[in-house]
Amino acid sequence: MICSIIVRNKGSFRHIAAFGLLILLIANILETYGKDFFHVNTMQLLQFDRFGFLFNSIALGATLIYVLLTGKEIEKSGKYAAEYFTLIFFVLCGIFILSAYDNLLMLFLGIEIMSIPLYILTGSDKRNLKSNEAALKYFLMGAFSTGLMLMGIALMYGGTGTFQLEVQRISVGMYKGVSFLEITGLLFLMVAMAFKVSAAPFHFWTPDVYDGAPAVFTSFMATIVKAAAFVAFIKLCDVRMTATLGAIDWKLLFALIIVFTLLIGNITAVFQQSVKRMLAYSSIAQAGFMLFALFNVNDVAKEGLLLYTAAYSLATIGIFAILVKMKDYTFEGYNGLAKTQPVLAATNTVFLLSLAGIPLTAGFFAKYYMLAAVVKTGSYIWLVVVGVLFAAVSVYYYFRVIQAMYFRNGNAATETITFSFKTGLIILAAIIILIGILPQVLLNWFYF
Amino acid sequence: MHQYLFLIPALPLAGFLLLSLGGRHLSRKIIAWIGVGSVSAAAIFTIILGLQFLQAPPPEGSYTQTLWQWMSTENFSCAINLRVDALSLVFLFIITFVGALIHIYSSAFMRHDRDYARFFASMNLFVCAMLLLVLADNLVLMYLGWEGVGLCSYLLIGFWYETPANCHAANKAFYVTRIGDTAMAIGLFLLFKELGTLNIPEILQQAPQHFTAASPNITLIALLLLAGGMGKSAQLPLQTWLPDAMAGPSPVSALIHAATMVTAGVYLIARMHVVFQLSPVAMDVTAIVGALTLFIAGCSALVQTDIKRILAYSTISQIGYMFLALGVGAWSAAIFHFFTHAFFKALLFLAAGAIIESLHHEHDIFKMGGLRKKMPLVFWTFLAGAAALAALPLISAGFFSKDQILWYAWSAGNGSPMLWFVALAGAFITAFYTTRLMIVVFWGEMKTHIGEYPGRAMTIPLVILAILSVIAGFIEWPHNMVHLTLFSDLVQKVLPATMLQDDLPEEIVFQIIAAATALFGVYTGYVFYQGNKALIEEWKQSSALMQIRNFLFKGWAFDQLYDALFVRPFKFLTRINKSDLFDKLYNGIALVSRRLNQLFSISQNGSLRWYIVGVLIGIIFILTLQLML
Amino acid sequence: MPIQYYIALASALFCIGVVGVLTRRNAIIIFMCIELMLNAVNLLLVAFSKMPFNIAETGASNASAGADAQLFVFFIMVVAAAEVSVGLAIIVMMYRNVHSVDINFLNRLKN
Repeated sequence: MICSIIVRNKGSFRHIAAFGLLILLIANILETYGKDFFHVNTMQLLQFDRFGFLFNSIALGATLIYVLLTGKEIEKSGKYAAEYFTLIFFVLCGIFILSAYDNLLMLFLGIEIMSIPLYILTGSDKRNLKSNEAALKYFLMGAFSTGLMLMGIALMYGGTGTFQLEVQRISVGMYKGVSFLEITGLLFLMVAMAFKVSAAPFHFWTPDVYDGAPAVFTSFMATIVKAAAFVAFIKLCDVRMTATLGAIDWKLLFALIIVFTLLIGNITAVFQQSVKRMLAYSSIAQAGFMLFALFNVNDVAKEGLLLYTAAYSLATIGIFAILVKMKDYTFEGYNGLAKTQPVLAATNTVFLLSLAGIPLTAGFFAKYYMLAAVVKTGSYIWLVVVGVLFAAVSVYYYFRVIQAMYFRNGNAATETITFSFKTGLIILAAIIILIGILPQVLLNWFYF
Repeated sequence: MHQYLFLIPALPLAGFLLLSLGGRHLSRKIIAWIGVGSVSAAAIFTIILGLQFLQAPPPEGSYTQTLWQWMSTENFSCAINLRVDALSLVFLFIITFVGALIHIYSSAFMRHDRDYARFFASMNLFVCAMLLLVLADNLVLMYLGWEGVGLCSYLLIGFWYETPANCHAANKAFYVTRIGDTAMAIGLFLLFKELGTLNIPEILQQAPQHFTAASPNITLIALLLLAGGMGKSAQLPLQTWLPDAMAGPSPVSALIHAATMVTAGVYLIARMHVVFQLSPVAMDVTAIVGALTLFIAGCSALVQTDIKRILAYSTISQIGYMFLALGVGAWSAAIFHFFTHAFFKALLFLAAGAIIESLHHEHDIFKMGGLRKKMPLVFWTFLAGAAALAALPLISAGFFSKDQILWYAWSAGNGSPMLWFVALAGAFITAFYTTRLMIVVFWGEMKTHIGEYPGRAMTIPLVILAILSVIAGFIEWPHNMVHLTLFSDLVQKVLPATMLQDDLPEEIVFQIIAAATALFGVYTGYVFYQGNKALIEEWKQSSALMQIRNFLFKGWAFDQLYDALFVRPFKFLTRINKSDLFDKLYNGIALVSRRLNQLFSISQNGSLRWYIVGVLIGIIFILTLQLML
Repeated sequence: MPIQYYIALASALFCIGVVGVLTRRNAIIIFMCIELMLNAVNLLLVAFSKMPFNIAETGASNASAGADAQLFVFFIMVVAAAEVSVGLAIIVMMYRNVHSVDINFLNRLKN
């Protein structure tokens, strides 16, 4: 349904891309409020619900901002600018499928439609060995995880006889409806999803790929794509995993993964020298936080995930947009940015504060909701403590950037900054603060 | 009208934003217009709102405006609501109206200052925070205002930050009030834990049902809130910061450290009066703290030589009266004294500022003298303020409010002759040191040459405040004289009426004693400093008396006491810790994280094969975990 | 033939693929091993399509079941083809730059 609109944009430039995104965004919001444009019989493969629509809106909005802020960089990054935009639209198409899938086939297709263009984008800087290496690593590991995922789906099919997300259980005698095959399959599927959201110990690809890929595309991968993987994951958890609660102790499993992810992401980010690589690790740490939503899927968690997605994506897009403009990606490269580019430094500070979860920014409420979702379970309170501790650790490395910008002397070299770029950044920072002060504005959409 | 309520705090906020963001590029004239204009506009709005409120009181007793829902989760929601009832209206009026006058005054007072814009930005922010404090309808928002005024106080005390002493004073004010703030925050947490809400009307409604009277919980909460109020309002034992806070510019002292911020504690207690009423212990503690403070601070004011420090101690002492009134349950009397005190104390500070500026920043009263002829306008206005401070009977606003407090200190349900006696002694001391101040500054021969006379922007606020210092008391008469009780009628819409004890002596007796005490204090002062100067000289010879004097001069040596009690032991502990005992712990954490980082770095070795092994180990781990369970 | 045999065969193929991914140095051969994993899944799916496991276990029979799994297999083939085209392009790009397809050279990005 939405794909058909996308294809139209094939072979277009930045402005057309932005325009197309805007149309999509408007269409999507209207759709959210019940205006049907045209109806497609999806044969129960896709199911559009409010959560999915909301997420689509966030993804589209974030992409729009992304294109507006860094569109020029995309054009600069290679000869095939138009193709890059097309690929981004393909990725978006995959994301929409993921936000609406109701069938494991669509999950598989969505993941693949989303991933394959990303392999190309990662390697788009053809002369750069790092980019090559990142692309190959990403591709091989991605394909490997696809294998795992398919194995999982196949086993689940064997166990239940259907690809639908919701399973009609039949219990006969001793057989309680959840078979060994299904559980094994579900575990494989979970591993593949954990791989996509870069949860430990399946995170190994993340730092290398984010570091190697051109910064513009890292921005896209680290934000919107990752969020989409989370949305797919939470859907899976919501329907299929809760259905097998009796057979598997998901909570323990997730708790272990969360702690491990937070530990690796945060501890490693602390010692990084390059801001770009630090952001890669911090995105692992943030993924650890988003996993809290999967820990116990309830309304608070879903709300929280949307809020987190929005807060995290917007802030990260902003930070990357500034990073792209920097000549030097190390912490030293940021020294004295406040003197040379005060607007960039100020907005960057807002973004970093939001990522760190300081109150009055969007990130604070995002983290609050995540933790509240766990508190609601009543048990595993120690997990909340761990989360708060690691949030405190994260403040350290985010503030390192702020410290470099404001309190170090240096000559932070940037490329020429246009006025419209600055305006864009200021608007983005304003949105983040606005969500921090009025989180209900975003969340009120959720209630209907 | 009340739908524009948000404008009252929003205007100063807008002024602050304009000045802090664009202050560098604006001319002084525009800065003054913005700074003064925003507060004045807020004052005009307040007055319109107040008139409307008085003419047609809203049926539920308050105007409420919901700005937005800040956050809302299942068991906690916090709306940004503004609410005006009679109590906050009084505070609102004082803050905006006196604030506007002080802003006008400062536009001239600060005219030579380099950081004109920074001054007005901070002042506007202060007004905004203070308005939030009194308009808040939940304690979270109130706490925001509470901390906001603390911040602005810090910024403005240290306004002339080049002098280290000023920064030290700012830090001291911040630290000392922080003790109270922390206690208050804990009190708020407890309150939330018990009642599940921080909305003020809900608390007032639910508290009597939830707590049995005098239960330990409510006492604890009330005492913690009281501690918060004591910190902000410079009451014993957290009073030491206020005299040092005089390091800020005089308008700051007038606005923040006399008229508004230091009375935030009074507001807090009056706001939460139901909580306090449920706990007799907390009420008694409040009354005793007030009585002790008013006496101790009054004695210190007797011997100070710095004009602003005299006024500072007298402020502490007057707020002590308010606490005393709150403690005995004379709610409206406390607020009434706040009302009159705001006028005359702001006036005294502003007049003192004018004198100080004219005399080349001379603070010592013994180097002033003879200003009666040279600065007649300042003299007359100062006289009006001093008369109110000394509570001269019938011709000053201070008399009406202080007389009420004195009467209730004995007669109110919680009062006692002892409290009354201390308050009376305080009244005597007040009259005494006020006379001393007047005589030393305005009579005698001139000792310092006058540089620059205050301009019209400075004198007009003085005159207005002087008139108010005289007439503001007439809206509330003792009921045995004239039946006019406008103020208590208004405030008692919110606060309970004062309960009286049975079989009391006639009220008129108290009034006569109070009036006589004030007059006697003035007379004594006259005798000592004008009539029989030799006596003082004689006393100065006596070492015992000089020691007492020095003791009082240092504010009962509280600073030294705290130094010995807290600062020294703390320094001692830090000396013990010279070898960084605790740092070992932190270094340990750092070491562990560094080792972990090394471990993770090894795992992230760039080899694809290793990564896939990692994934497989993860899978095998998960599968075995699942099979085991 | 019982379904268990098919499961065992597919698992064996899958494991061979995994081991191949682990031990081989040549990127193209690793890629082929991944294809082997996918084909193991295909085999398994087709097997399940004719003999659904839990249906066999619970003793019910359903003649029309299984078409969706066969459909799935086609989708896997299509996606695999897409992956091959992208993957080979990346490998060729790699080869142009370093004149090797040995993954042991992939170690510029670390720590």
